[in-house]
Amino acid sequence: MEDYKYLFKVVLIGNAGVGKTCLVRRFTQGLFPPGQGATIGVDFMIKTVEVDGDKVKLQIWDTAGQERFRCITQSYYRSANALILVYDITCQPTFDCLPNWIKEIDTYASSKVLTYLVGNKSDRLLHREIPAEIGEHFAKQHSMRYLETSAKEAENVDRLFTEIAVELTKQAKENFLRPRQDSTSGKVGMPNGGSSPVGGLSCCKLN
Amino acid sequence: MTGCCGCCTALKPRYKRLVDSIFPDNPEDGLVKDNMQKLVYYGTSKPEKLDRIGQYLEQRLSRDVTRSRTGYVSISMEALDQLLLACHAHSNLFVESFLKMVHKTLESPEPQLQILASQSFVKFANIEEDTPSYHRSYDFFVSKFSSMCHSSAEPETTRIRIRVAGLHGLQGIVKKTVSDDLQVNIWDPVHMNKIIPSLLYSLQGCNMDNDPESPKEDESPGVVAEMVLRDLVCRATFGNITSVLKPVLQHLDYHKLWVPNKFAVKIFRILMYSVQDQYGHMVVHHLMSHLDAHNKDEPRVKAGIVDVVSETVVIAAGGSVGPSVLEVFNTLLRHLKSSVSVQTSDRQRVLDEKNFQEAVINTIGEFANNLPDYQKIEIMMFVMGKVPLLDLEEDVSSGDRKDTLLQTMLLKTMLKVATKYRTVLMINAFPPAFLDPLLRMSLAYDAGIRLIVQEILHTLLDRHDNSGKLKFVSENSDTITWIPKDIQALNLTVEKASQQDIFFIKKNGPQFYSCIYENMLQENNKVDNFEALYCTLALLSIELGGEDILVDLVRLAMGIQNISVSSDLPVTHTCAIHAIVAAYLNLIGQLSAIPNMCTHVSEIIDARKNKAPHLLPDFAFNRSNTEQSYPTSTNVKDELLFDQAVINEALTSRGYDTSTLGTPFTISRLSQSRLGRMDSWFAETSSGSWLQDEVDMAHSTSDIHSITLSIDSSSSSQTPLMGQRGQAPEDITFESLKKIITEDDVERKRSQEMKQKAILEKFQTAPFEQIVAKIDAESMVFQNKLSEILTTISDENKDNAPQHQTTAVFDMQFPDLYVY
Repeated sequence: MEDYKYLFKVVLIGNAGVGKTCLVRRFTQGLFPPGQGATIGVDFMIKTVEVDGDKVKLQIWDTAGQERFRCITQSYYRSANALILVYDITCQPTFDCLPNWIKEIDTYASSKVLTYLVGNKSDRLLHREIPAEIGEHFAKQHSMRYLETSAKEAENVDRLFTEIAVELTKQAKENFLRPRQDSTSGKVGMPNGGSSPVGGLSCCKLN
Repeated sequence: MTGCCGCCTALKPRYKRLVDSIFPDNPEDGLVKDNMQKLVYYGTSKPEKLDRIGQYLEQRLSRDVTRSRTGYVSISMEALDQLLLACHAHSNLFVESFLKMVHKTLESPEPQLQILASQSFVKFANIEEDTPSYHRSYDFFVSKFSSMCHSSAEPETTRIRIRVAGLHGLQGIVKKTVSDDLQVNIWDPVHMNKIIPSLLYSLQGCNMDNDPESPKEDESPGVVAEMVLRDLVCRATFGNITSVLKPVLQHLDYHKLWVPNKFAVKIFRILMYSVQDQYGHMVVHHLMSHLDAHNKDEPRVKAGIVDVVSETVVIAAGGSVGPSVLEVFNTLLRHLKSSVSVQTSDRQRVLDEKNFQEAVINTIGEFANNLPDYQKIEIMMFVMGKVPLLDLEEDVSSGDRKDTLLQTMLLKTMLKVATKYRTVLMINAFPPAFLDPLLRMSLAYDAGIRLIVQEILHTLLDRHDNSGKLKFVSENSDTITWIPKDIQALNLTVEKASQQDIFFIKKNGPQFYSCIYENMLQENNKVDNFEALYCTLALLSIELGGEDILVDLVRLAMGIQNISVSSDLPVTHTCAIHAIVAAYLNLIGQLSAIPNMCTHVSEIIDARKNKAPHLLPDFAFNRSNTEQSYPTSTNVKDELLFDQAVINEALTSRGYDTSTLGTPFTISRLSQSRLGRMDSWFAETSSGSWLQDEVDMAHSTSDIHSITLSIDSSSSSQTPLMGQRGQAPEDITFESLKKIITEDDVERKRSQEMKQKAILEKFQTAPFEQIVAKIDAESMVFQNKLSEILTTISDENKDNAPQHQTTAVFDMQFPDLYVY
């Protein structure tokens, strides 16, 4: 039998060096790798969390921030259930690039994808360049959720992914309750973009 | 305890017991072979149980994966592989659980397991399933394998193994899906956008790591990626080649691989060699559109792209152009044009644009190379159509270099195309619609442009690779004597002209002659121009010569000699012209083997050697000359000139009909008119430097008169050609023409009447086509002349704007009036 009930794809995007890989590793492996090198292409991690007693598997695609990999990373947006757009609160340029990222999301991701704006490196308060309010305001403008995290101090990291898992599960459940064409097959269809994640929930498999 | 266990075991279904039995107590021991055989046997004999076996194995495997018991995972995978191979025909569901297990194993962060899973997947991919499964999705596999291709795992050996495993996995997916329409559409951009960049990235990595000389390992990512890419591309059909090319182009953009474009070239070579022949033009087409998309980019990037285009064109050969020949050329020409119009003071930028233009021209050449010959001419005409023809009026006055530059570029393009053309018959190489504008171009104001036009003529005229031997610019000029005592020294290849060619030159010769003649008169000629003109002259006599036009050619030569005597071109020019005449008469004298003529020529040459070496090519074409090295006076003594009478006699002695030669200005009726005009010009502008002179309206009117006059006389000069030799109304020379202009009306009227009569007669007797052809040619030249004159005038009245307009009107109307 399957060891999870739902499977969601989460994709991290954002400029190079904002700490995407560190966030993922903190969450999946519980460690903070100092001197993490630049990601090449796309990295893949998996983590199962529990939401209301249901096992939810998160497939996390950690993309390279470097522009040269844009071609391959863009192709991963589309099947994502959730996007995490990361910037560095101590680095103004990474914040300034956000509009470009929003454009990318609009172009390549499915329209109703759940998007989180994350200001990372919140431990480096002394070097902060972007006040939390500005980030929050920006997120609101583009109908994104906002969080500040610190991969180093493990601050808000778990919360970030758990919130995503909870939200996506909620969506999936709503969607599952609504009569859908493919609900007979027992697959859990996501409302967004026809991507078909799937946990098997078929009764015939319950033997 | 044991009993209880035993009891439980007994209660387990048989398939579970069989599965359990294949796992040894110690994972190090590996699969229990005997029991595995039993399981396989059980599976094949009871296929209905296969699903359950699969599920149970899957369950065990996922447990082992979570507990990272790598040993047991490998065993499960091995068992699955064997089962799959043995029983694949029977169960789709089993395949499902198999894929789920591969999936699960791939999710493990353990590199070893990922590699293992990929290998299993590849084994699965190699199996031909007879029952398709429509709902199978490879999304995850594509994503994961692509991600593996980018692995940055340490150490390097592991990294390479993961990357290679990813590549093999991708290949497996392609293999599995591509042949079956009912399967997932792997060509969907969603997948291709992952697969292609991964392949390219792997290729790229290998490209940078090891140089091409180092021996390639079979399993390096680069090698595998290349193989996969070839495999993929050769399966692509018309509909989905686009989804392969788009990501390729994007990848090259993002990784900034157009400059330098070594990698891009490599990739497109791979693409071109693997893509199905009939789709080759699609690749070219996409590159061209990509070039369009980069229109605003740096010229270096564009040059990189164009370079790649030319590389692919070379490979695609005949298939490169596709259905829209002109479209391709049009696009390239447009880029050329836009590049030319870039105005910048940045040195580097200018250089880059230049390189880009070169690249475009080369590419056009490559394209043209693949076209059949008749299309090459069409393309040249097409390019010709793009050449702005305003220069006669604009260039000098506005000083705008843009048009000149564009003309130069387009003509270079034509030259490139022309070099790919192999002339067989002149009439095919020079259809009137092409020849006319080309010759018109040959009189452009810019010396550089005129040079290129001559070069185009050379390549098209030259069928026997003689032009190289006729150009004196070659580095080893010591070995080549300008005027060889014996023509054999030049080692020319001469073949008798065919009947068609002779017909061609009879019809179009005058056009050529007059063009060459006028070219000689250009004030801004450089040494190169003169050399090129000599080459054209020589080629004309070699390729089309022979007895039929010999007289015409000699006439032309004499006419040219007269220019230098009578005109006021600078000393350098005069010397060069004398030199050309000397070299040329020497050449045709020997070619036609007329002893008397040869003797005369060599006498004169010897005389010049002693007394006036500056009239010989060795001096005149010497680029190291300075102003001081020329003599101050341009007067040339008669004994140093080629004597018409002597040559006339020589020709007559060999049975040539020299009646026309006796009238030097009918050598070329066009040049005659030209000379007439020149003369009148001189008469009017007392000082020699007429170009700088103020010319007012009165002058220009009289110019027009003189032209009308000279046209009349030129018509009369046709009469001999029309077969009424000897009836030429008068012996027209420089002087006589001068007289015509200055003398009283009575005589003029009388002569005019005669001319009119002759014309009338001609029109009544000659075949229509002939008349039309003659008049066409004439009017063309006439128009040139006219516009040139008007340009001169308008140049001198720069401020007088309306002048330009009137010129345009004249330009348009005069020839028509004249012709009809």
